[in-house]
Amino acid sequence: MDPYEIEFLGENRIISVIPNFSYDKIYLICGEFGPFRAGLPLNVPLWLAIMLKQKQKCRIVPPDWMDLDVLENIKEEEKRSRFFTKMPNEHYMVEAKLILGVAAEDVPNSSEIKTIIKDIWDIRMSKLRTSMDALMKSGGSYGRLDHLTLMEINSVKPLLPSAMDDLHRIRTTSKRPTTASLNTSTFSQSGSSQNI
Amino acid sequence: MSNYLSISDILVSNEKVPCKFLHDLPKMGFLDPSAADDDLKAGTNVEIPLWLAESLQSRRPPLVSVDLPKIYKDAYREILNADACTVDMHKLGQYFYELGCYVAKHDIKGEVAATLENTFKQRFRMLLSASVSTDTLSTMQPLSASERKRAAAAASSENALSAWLQRGDCPLTTANMVANHRKRKRAEMEMF
Repeated sequence: MDPYEIEFLGENRIISVIPNFSYDKIYLICGEFGPFRAGLPLNVPLWLAIMLKQKQKCRIVPPDWMDLDVLENIKEEEKRSRFFTKMPNEHYMVEAKLILGVAAEDVPNSSEIKTIIKDIWDIRMSKLRTSMDALMKSGGSYGRLDHLTLMEINSVKPLLPSAMDDLHRIRTTSKRPTTASLNTSTFSQSGSSQNI
Repeated sequence: MSNYLSISDILVSNEKVPCKFLHDLPKMGFLDPSAADDDLKAGTNVEIPLWLAESLQSRRPPLVSVDLPKIYKDAYREILNADACTVDMHKLGQYFYELGCYVAKHDIKGEVAATLENTFKQRFRMLLSASVSTDTLSTMQPLSASERKRAAAAASSENALSAWLQRGDCPLTTANMVANHRKRKRAEMEMF
């Protein structure tokens, strides 16, 4: 999948905005939103929030997790843990990129937040790489993808599943059906669970 | 494994394997380029394509005995088991894994299967680095045909992702301090 498609999926997340205009309810395929009252926060999909913001029609209320202390904690947790930690949001990268892209002035400490989110992303990506390599080396036959976000899973999609398919194919076709290959069959059964 | 319509499978079955003929074959001397005779003598060692070798061997009685290509022999297996990443698969065996799956059954000791698996596992790291490397030429060079294909697919998704990250009026970027870190700077300098 293309990153833009994932961005599209992430744009459906609900986010809080404070409009500076009043308008009736609007009816969208994904639900009805409004009525808009100037100065009163309400929930809308992210794409609508971005669009309104670009037209200077609203202020975006940054999500709870888009806070320096919260992110600092997540980053420390992510650094300490061997496994992936739970992210505050399934589409944290998409949300951060879009909100900080159009509404940086609505987020306090936006430049620090930008940096720290990128740090978290980098830590997770490098962790993903090392655990992929470890998974392959250990000969595990499956990996657990707990707490990985869609964007991260997508980045390894062309590589990992096809490599594991191939490994399986090599194991099954190269193994001789005779008893002489007993030593190799024990080898392939040692698939261990690896937290990836 | 064998797939009638797969082009790469056809190419794999066209790879040559060393064979020993077990019977005298009249008028088949042309198979052995060094033979002066019209007839092919029993005991001659000739390299013939895999598809021919397989069918000659499966006859009753078998006409040939199939030997392992040199990259699957002990000497190379030792190198592969020691460090598979140093081997230039592009030169030694374009279709290392695919051909290996076919010839593994001709290996009496049954060690080829383990080598194949081991090699694949070890070389996975090369795929990872090839997919993120800026210097694609030198990282892709030692990969076998199937590895290249996979690394290229991984690199293209990696590029799409970094393009997405870069896009927009204010892309999320790494902190200056991290970007100026010696290691990263060197990687960027090597790019040019």
